[in-house]
Amino acid sequence: MSNTYGNRPERLGGTATVVRPDATAGRGEERPGEASTYYGMPLIKKATWSWEIMLYFFLGGLAGGSFLVSTLADLRGSVKDAALVRAGRFIALICMIISPILLIKDLGRPGRFHHMFRILKLRSAMSLGTWAITVFGICCGLTTAHQLAKDGLLNRFPPLARFMKAFPVKVIEVIGSVFGLVVASYTGVLLSATAVPVWARARHILGPLFLSSGLSTALASLSLLLSLGRSKQDTLERLDSAEIITMATELGLISTLPRVLGPLAKPLFKGRVGVLFMAGTMGSGLLVPLFTRLGWKLTRKPMPRALNIVASLMVLVGGILLRYTWIVAGRGSADDPQATHYYNALERKRGS
Amino acid sequence: MGQMGFFTDTTLCIGCKACEVACKQWNQLPSDGYTFTGYSYDNTVALSATTWRHVAFIEHSRPADGTGKSVNWLMMSDVCKHCTHPGCMEACPTGAIIRNEFGDVYVQPDICNGCGYCVPSCPFGVVGRNRDTGLAAKCTLCYDRQKDGIEPACAKACPTDSIVFGDLDELKERARKRVNTLHERGETAAYLYGVDEDTTVGDLNAFFLLMDRPSVYNLPENPKLPQNNLVPGFVASLIAASFLTLTTAFSLWRRGK
Repeated sequence: MSNTYGNRPERLGGTATVVRPDATAGRGEERPGEASTYYGMPLIKKATWSWEIMLYFFLGGLAGGSFLVSTLADLRGSVKDAALVRAGRFIALICMIISPILLIKDLGRPGRFHHMFRILKLRSAMSLGTWAITVFGICCGLTTAHQLAKDGLLNRFPPLARFMKAFPVKVIEVIGSVFGLVVASYTGVLLSATAVPVWARARHILGPLFLSSGLSTALASLSLLLSLGRSKQDTLERLDSAEIITMATELGLISTLPRVLGPLAKPLFKGRVGVLFMAGTMGSGLLVPLFTRLGWKLTRKPMPRALNIVASLMVLVGGILLRYTWIVAGRGSADDPQATHYYNALERKRGS
Repeated sequence: MGQMGFFTDTTLCIGCKACEVACKQWNQLPSDGYTFTGYSYDNTVALSATTWRHVAFIEHSRPADGTGKSVNWLMMSDVCKHCTHPGCMEACPTGAIIRNEFGDVYVQPDICNGCGYCVPSCPFGVVGRNRDTGLAAKCTLCYDRQKDGIEPACAKACPTDSIVFGDLDELKERARKRVNTLHERGETAAYLYGVDEDTTVGDLNAFFLLMDRPSVYNLPENPKLPQNNLVPGFVASLIAASFLTLTTAFSLWRRGK
């Protein structure tokens, strides 16, 4: 009787092979997929991250997406998009103020957070991310300060207001957008660059998935905010289009997971985590809002405000659940020694 | 000076756990509590931030092959592998994890800020984060003892010299000779784990002589350096970012009614 990976079940004293005196197969390379375990104990260690990191993954993506939308709207210079540009900048800045607080709080020694700035290590996703957040955060600050100056909110400090109004904000916006896209995607790459099987195997998917989720949650937030005010229907409709395409992309990426992960997908699709991922993220977080928006678009009538708010909130909750389920699935994957053996054998066969 | 490391010959291990005790005592590591796991004589179970040497016990029945032996009892003193390409060191964003002048992988406790990224990045599941100090910790290969010219505590305490410390090239030669001796004696299952490897992790400065598959000892059979996933991940993200920027621009910039 074998399990998901084709391994034999545990026997007395662990799942050891029977050693014959003439055994020459010491390494076991001739028997892929039949690795044993040590009393079923985990081989690698799971990450220590908890709700702070889950929330940060969500907010970082939202900030990056929001800043990109705001920049694209600003670059075209249309007056009717002014509210969109303003909302995008504020959302991005607020998220980038909260994010470092969460990250520092999660550290084992929060007082030493500045040690992250001792080096820039290109082979460390966390080092790259630290610097990307810093540059992006500064860009968010500068663009929002310019926005405040333009809105007349800095008139108490005339020199500052003059300086910020004259600032070459479009340059900062473009630079910031690039770093914002990095911030929205590097967290997925960070998970993939570990030994955790479900994360590592999804290395081509996690970065793009977190990026598209960051963008879809940003578009949903902006749609939500603007529909509360006196915003033009035209802006909302264009946000709708962008959101439909982004959600479709996200669903497309998720649909590749069963084939790519194979048996490694178990901690993501089974149990409580599986219900949250499939019903919460895929279902109510993407499929329902996508078809709702698509349906209303086809009627060519404006979407009712209440429905827009509900659909946007569903996307936001789906985005949070996406980060939650992936981190919890990582724990289950790290705890499964057979997953590690399966992943290593698969990578070996592929020539890694 | 050449690289210094460990050769752990599991055929000499008697399972006395003197290495575990010596390591705990020298490094002033706290107890991990009392648990009876029922896993043969192993109540330590795994390496962690407070356990830097762990003796594994595997009992399994032999087939009736006329030798009269009914059980194979494998014992192995596990430790940080001090890899040539360490996943923990590449992951560390503060530069706390370094390779010291003896060629060993060392976590500088005054620099580590406890981000915990090294923990899931080790393909062998060695390094952990200490809940009380908040810092990552693992075997230092007794860096402090080496600086004073003496061998690590576990090697010193080992009564059978199952754990041998010394110059890596000399250890590897010694190990290869030992494997040949065992093969000549008919113990053809013996092999070296962590020497002349072609994995992305490379050779291990703390290598082993094993008598069964690595997975039996809870070792990965083809360990992979996790950071090799960075470039594929970022390339995929770049493609996605370009695509989504274009589609979003297209959606936002088209003319209104």
